[in-house]
Amino acid sequence: MSTIEKTKSSPAKNKGRITQVIGSTFDAEFPEDCLPRIYNAVKVSAEYKNVKIELTGEVQQHLGGGRVRCVALGSTDGLVRGVECIDTGKPVVVPVGKCTLGRVFNLLGEPIDRRGPVEAEEYWPIHREAPAVTDLSTKTEVFETGIKVIDLLTPFVRGGKAGLFGGAGLGKTVILTELIARIASAHGGYSVFAGVGERTREGNDLWLEMQHTKIGSTDRRVIDQTCMVFGQMNEPPGSRLRVALSALTMAEYFRDTTGADVLLFIDNIFRFSQAGSEVSALLGRMPSAVGYQPTLATEMGQLQERITSTNRGAITSVQAVYVPADDPTDPAPAAAFGQLDAFIYLERAISAKGIYPAVDPLASSSRVLDPQFVGERHYACARRVQMTLQRYRELQDIIAILGVDELSEADKLVVHRARRMERFLSQPFLVAEAFTGKPGEITPLADTIRSFEEIADGKWDHLPEQAFMYVGAVEQAAEQAERMAKGK
Amino acid sequence: MAKARALDKRRRSVKSIRKITRTMELISRAQFKRAMDRASAATAYTRRITDLVAHLAAAGMQVKHPLLTPHAENKSMVLLVLTANRGLCGGYNSGVLRASQAAMTERAEQWGEVRLEVSGKRGAANFKFRKIPTAETYTHFNEKVRFDQVNLLATRYLDEYAAGSLDRLDVAYMKFESLSRQYPVVETLLPMGRLGDHSAAGLGGPQYDFLPSAESILDEVVPAAFKAQLFKCFLDAAVSEQIARMVAMKAATENADAMISLLSMSYNRARQGQITGELLEIIGGAEAVQ
Repeated sequence: MSTIEKTKSSPAKNKGRITQVIGSTFDAEFPEDCLPRIYNAVKVSAEYKNVKIELTGEVQQHLGGGRVRCVALGSTDGLVRGVECIDTGKPVVVPVGKCTLGRVFNLLGEPIDRRGPVEAEEYWPIHREAPAVTDLSTKTEVFETGIKVIDLLTPFVRGGKAGLFGGAGLGKTVILTELIARIASAHGGYSVFAGVGERTREGNDLWLEMQHTKIGSTDRRVIDQTCMVFGQMNEPPGSRLRVALSALTMAEYFRDTTGADVLLFIDNIFRFSQAGSEVSALLGRMPSAVGYQPTLATEMGQLQERITSTNRGAITSVQAVYVPADDPTDPAPAAAFGQLDAFIYLERAISAKGIYPAVDPLASSSRVLDPQFVGERHYACARRVQMTLQRYRELQDIIAILGVDELSEADKLVVHRARRMERFLSQPFLVAEAFTGKPGEITPLADTIRSFEEIADGKWDHLPEQAFMYVGAVEQAAEQAERMAKGK
Repeated sequence: MAKARALDKRRRSVKSIRKITRTMELISRAQFKRAMDRASAATAYTRRITDLVAHLAAAGMQVKHPLLTPHAENKSMVLLVLTANRGLCGGYNSGVLRASQAAMTERAEQWGEVRLEVSGKRGAANFKFRKIPTAETYTHFNEKVRFDQVNLLATRYLDEYAAGSLDRLDVAYMKFESLSRQYPVVETLLPMGRLGDHSAAGLGGPQYDFLPSAESILDEVVPAAFKAQLFKCFLDAAVSEQIARMVAMKAATENADAMISLLSMSYNRARQGQITGELLEIIGGAEAVQ
């Protein structure tokens, strides 16, 4: 009891020494009576043989005998035993508030955009409790994105969480960037972007793009309403493990104090689990299924439970989730799956057909695709599209073996329309304009529903399949067909 | 194991489909041989009698036979569509149906209503699905079509033509040219004029003396030629059907083979992945415990 009292009373003065360095973890020895608490930040600032070492670690375990084991939140290169370390007495804190807008940080809350120091009035620790159940918001409101396949089949929830699941190279980051371009530019509130273990280049591209994009018709740039936190691929696992929390803390501040609607984009939440598994074995935990850390679900749960909307404000979050080896039953994506309101699964077979966004219309789903929330008409239309595509998928083996001629007339019609629907689910993106040469399409939900109803009713059976590729509403498909006919 | 088991189940179903398609390929190969023999026998006869009609018509120019002259009025037309009773023959049925559909829309402008007669369950089902009414459907013409069956049909057409209730008869069927070439055609069998004129042109042909009279001889020969031609259409259709089925089933068998090997590969990979994963977990677990 007295030990705890002492630790609390004079926390900042605790000094210890590094006793062991193993990869991206290190052990430190402190006086037995003033051990740093779990999750406290431990700072190393030393010079050894003319090499400067600046490192922050996070206490993970008390090993006994005054030793604690920490995860390094930076590189341990050059770290030696015997170097002094200081317990900061609190977890890692990050600056929060309006001063963070327009800036780029690392997980420690240090600006990395070379625009001088950030002067924040408040600093919040990155480890926080999830909001209480009684504070959670119970509203359910659909959030329109202007992307046909998402609005129709996996509608987003305002203040909810959406996940983009997909294997390597299916366009998760592109869809995420697209959503930023669509939502953030039309959104009045604040946005927070967390780059977790993805390519540094993509983060840089996004940062540059946000400086050009204007919000709606105003003169303000998107970046002025956004703060970005990066811990990309090049960072050690400890950094990737905590960067999502840093970004989340900044978002939470906006939610809790300003009551504004906050957008939180995370690319890529799988890297968070991956970083956890990288340090897990070093911390001496026994690996669990497929070599992941045994605490996989706990870690994911603690993070995801904080990304939520309360009565004070809402956090709408879109997260990319990498699916290793295209296997959605892998424990890491499976752990994220249960936490989300909308689930968008990207499928390799669809991307192989050149249909982007490569959303699998049958594997993807949303909690709000329910007549209670989206209305009878939308629901019926979505179900019809899914049933047609489902039937087409069932018939695919028969077509592969016997050919399309062997189908019954009714099935031929199903295949005919399903192939058109499949292509109609593609859409030109705002952010892909430079590559496709087509301006991005923002399709209102009403147009989307009407278009799919008409295709299902057979009104557009006469158009060639190719006409349905990369258009907005169905009338544009007709125009495209006309252009194609003229071109020949 | 769920994925591996699902793959295995799919592989088994593809294997049994392959068994069926392979058997059908062999059956249609045997039937093709028989149909081919009958068709080539009929071809010689049909060509000879068609030539004969052409020569006779050319020789006796002054004589007009009713079957060779078009009616003055274009009122009633019949389109006879020859399809198969069974499916699993690739694009055979759809090819004929597409050709007949095109012919129908084209002729409908000139003839107004086209009376549709369909042979074969597949064609009948197709027209029924598209809600196009058919005057007659025949399902008794199979791969061993007999002359007496066709004769009944031909006689009815001849009677109707003579009576003036039929002004033109078109037949849509899959024409057999060679083993590697069959194509859907729509041919006009009544009035017979066009066909006769055409083949008579190049042949100098022998000179004929008509005894007792040109009319009586033409009265015998022309209907026989028409019947032979109609019968030939049915025979051609039968051969083409068998060829189409043979080709389609061969392709289907090959496709099934490809799919089986693909599924086998995925299955083996899934199974091995499962085993490796479990081994790793056991070893890792055991090491961690030590």
